[in-house]
Amino acid sequence: MKTSIKDRPTTETSPRMRFMEGKLSRWIVTALIIALVIVFFSVADDDWFSIVNYTLIAAIAAIALNVLSGYTGQVSLGIAFFMAIGAYTAAYLGGKVPTSSEDALGLGLPFILWLPASGLVAALVGGLIGPVALRLKGFYLGIVSLALIFIGQYIFMNARGITGGPQGRVFPVPAIGDAGFDQQNSFLGLALTSGQQFFLLILIVLLVVAFFVYNVMRSRVGRAFRAVRDNETGATIMGVNLLEAKLGAFVLSSFLAGIAGALFASYSRYITPNYWGLTLSIQFIAAIIIGGIASVWGSILGAAFVFGLPLVIDHFSLLPVSSGSGVISSGDLNALLYGLLIVVFLLFEPGGVIGLAYRVGALLRNFNQHQHEGGEPAEVSDL
Amino acid sequence: MAYFLQITFAGIALGCIYALIGLGFSIIFKASEVINFAQGELLLVGAYVTSSAVFEWHFNFILAVLVGVVVTVLIGLIFERFVLRRMLGRPIFAVLMITIGLDTILRTALIVRWGSNPIPAAAPYTITSGFNLSGIHIGFNDLLTVLVTVILCAMLFYFFRYTRYGLAMRATALDQEAALAVGINVRVVYALAWGIAAGIATIGGVFLAIGSYAMDPTLGGAALLAFPAIILGGVDSVTGAVVGGIIIGLVQDLTAGYESYVTSFLGAGIHQITPYLVMILVLLIRPYGLFGTRKVERI
Amino acid sequence: MSDQMPETTSSSIVAPPLLSVEGISVQFAGVKALTDVTFQAQVGELFAVIGPNGAGKTSLFNVLSRVYEPAAGRVTYDGQDLLRYKTHQVARMGIARTFQNLGQFPTMTVLDYLLLGRHTRMKSGILLGGIYFGLTRTEERKNRAYCQHLLELLGLQHLQNHPLGSLPYGLQKRADIARALALEPKLLLLDEPVAGMGFDETEDIAAAILDIKEQLGITQILVEHDMALVMGIADRILVLDFGRVIALGTAAEIQVNQDVIKAYLGEEFGGGPATQPTSAKDQPV
Repeated sequence: MKTSIKDRPTTETSPRMRFMEGKLSRWIVTALIIALVIVFFSVADDDWFSIVNYTLIAAIAAIALNVLSGYTGQVSLGIAFFMAIGAYTAAYLGGKVPTSSEDALGLGLPFILWLPASGLVAALVGGLIGPVALRLKGFYLGIVSLALIFIGQYIFMNARGITGGPQGRVFPVPAIGDAGFDQQNSFLGLALTSGQQFFLLILIVLLVVAFFVYNVMRSRVGRAFRAVRDNETGATIMGVNLLEAKLGAFVLSSFLAGIAGALFASYSRYITPNYWGLTLSIQFIAAIIIGGIASVWGSILGAAFVFGLPLVIDHFSLLPVSSGSGVISSGDLNALLYGLLIVVFLLFEPGGVIGLAYRVGALLRNFNQHQHEGGEPAEVSDL
Repeated sequence: MAYFLQITFAGIALGCIYALIGLGFSIIFKASEVINFAQGELLLVGAYVTSSAVFEWHFNFILAVLVGVVVTVLIGLIFERFVLRRMLGRPIFAVLMITIGLDTILRTALIVRWGSNPIPAAAPYTITSGFNLSGIHIGFNDLLTVLVTVILCAMLFYFFRYTRYGLAMRATALDQEAALAVGINVRVVYALAWGIAAGIATIGGVFLAIGSYAMDPTLGGAALLAFPAIILGGVDSVTGAVVGGIIIGLVQDLTAGYESYVTSFLGAGIHQITPYLVMILVLLIRPYGLFGTRKVERI
Repeated sequence: MSDQMPETTSSSIVAPPLLSVEGISVQFAGVKALTDVTFQAQVGELFAVIGPNGAGKTSLFNVLSRVYEPAAGRVTYDGQDLLRYKTHQVARMGIARTFQNLGQFPTMTVLDYLLLGRHTRMKSGILLGGIYFGLTRTEERKNRAYCQHLLELLGLQHLQNHPLGSLPYGLQKRADIARALALEPKLLLLDEPVAGMGFDETEDIAAAILDIKEQLGITQILVEHDMALVMGIADRILVLDFGRVIALGTAAEIQVNQDVIKAYLGEEFGGGPATQPTSAKDQPV
């Protein structure tokens, strides 16, 4: 190989190799983050909540994609499809009961039912697709996942009852009792804006998801996933059941994608079916490459870059609305950027931003520490 | 019956465009194991540049096509030399991703330079021009597409079979290390592969643009249908690329042509997914496509 | 030459072999990789398979791992018909295998790699793993401790957090053996464990293999090119040539066997392909 493996950093998180060294620094960073969150919560205006909320939802979906592609190595362009399944499940279960034949379908069920259900239905569909990955490898699987997107678009465009057809439909909001999150409500004596309520909900879901996935990856199943990614035959010789592993990855990934899709649709209130297209899937692929393959933190950072940054640029109206004749809109600038970054990162820093951080961290540690026998583990990236 | 034949011919012409895209893709893949997701986008670039050459710089059509080919070939060569060369030995997934990155960059660059609104396609004849053959309308564009594709295929066949570099490319495709060992300059082979692929892509793009009445960035989506064609034929098979292309073109136009009969219960737009459905069906029976070969993982 | 059961001097009780391979033939794309291979491995035995390049040694391992489907023959392992099982089930039955080509899992740390070896000995699924605290954490701790113990045995514990890809070749091979042992196998298949190693490293591995035999009592089948190693430590040796068994016996018997000598020396003098690679220490200084 041209470059020495020793020079490339890893994003693998075995419990010993932490982002930060030592228990003290970890507590300090955690405290800082909590403080930041509290400050944000108190002072941010609706626009900023919007930016952060969308970014956090995207982070959940990015984690979902990482589970399937980053950790288990299954090439998939289909994440937008599974998000859509989740969104439309939420719409069907939680949407208002139709009063006329013009309205979209809905059962009016409560939020506590439709949110998990959106994940479960998406997981079910993922479970049906999973076995396909046993027969098809690499690019073949990738294009079948591409087919999913288009087949999905066709279904969504035509299933007017559930999706509202090409015009789209309204999506239900989370609610505790009668208090829908789309209005200002009072909880436990505190008056919370819509943005704040969504923020809390999304943050909690993201924390649970991140924690769960992180745990899975440092346990038996996570190791099996990575083995499948690196060498399927070798993995089976070591006892990994390929069907179980791939099925598990698809089911978990689709579940999370469904939840993210439902949250996204709910927060946006109104979505047309052509949103769930190839571009969305590619954005998530960009997110995990830029942030860091096979890394929960990487997924979050990547989502912040690909989804949060253009929203920030728009907020400050730095760029025109559409591109042409040399001018570039924020959406297109972002696309150009993440396209470039995909190339740059894959060329020079396959571990993404997280890999870069590890490398910098290792460099700093080397300055402080005296190199000793078998001391610093060299790092190797996933790509 | 005339209608059926007309659509069939149009489908074959469309299939030829897919075949051209697929051919370029297969050539690159066989030479260097690279999966070029951006193949369809190169098509667009070629078509756009050709159009600009005709309408903005006032070249004549043939010269404009040449300019388009040169630009696309340059892009391909630069990408191969400065990006892909460094990805040697990396997992195929990573290489695929990097071509997705290229695809995104190209698409956005197109939009920035030419905007999202449709612009006219460069054409030496009108889009509707053609002639009638016993009740069937045969469009010039379709006819030319098929003819040029056949000629290109013949040229490529000759090139691979009877020329030195063609032989070198075939050798590299079979076994890269062995090719290196006998002194084949693999770098030239890679450059050739990308050059040929880019050139073919431009020609296909020009025909696609002419046949599409208006050219806008969404045409890239049309070119995307080349992928089910490539998969159906088998990623590493040149024959498969052509056969797959024709099949998909036929499927697409036939379903589009008869779609009105089924819209009432199947909804609109089914012709956009029938290619994918056919591909899935084929994959169920042959997971590596019609002519593809199985890859062996070494342990 | 058929295999004779070693007779014990006193009792008439003869233990059944752990592995019995009968008439195995493997063929693909017109190549006959193995033809009518028959042998048995006794419990606790150190059994070696040698032969010139292309003799079918790895194909044999691939049959045992159920990666290849034999065209004919039977394999009985621990009283069971092995051919009825699939590859991933083989590990659960206690058959572990090291890999000939390394670098398959470059980003895994050594410890994680060993824990992967314990995959069939652990139980946590996605749900339990995601919750982690409780059953999974206990399982992880227990198994980590076991792997640490193995790492100490093989002198690798200071490298446990290093990615496999960053280790020198010899240590990767050692880690691979540790990973195979982590499965707690009854049968250990070693695929060229000292390929490309120098004298000292070979000695280390040889010692480890003997330790595995004497201290752990694990049955081992060793595929190797290094003659000195094989002759030095193997209980019995199977010699393959062009997929056929040409000899089976102890080191002493093999060394004087005419068919074996012809198979090896014949290539050297007959103008055919080069002989198998010799280990470094056999090179003239």
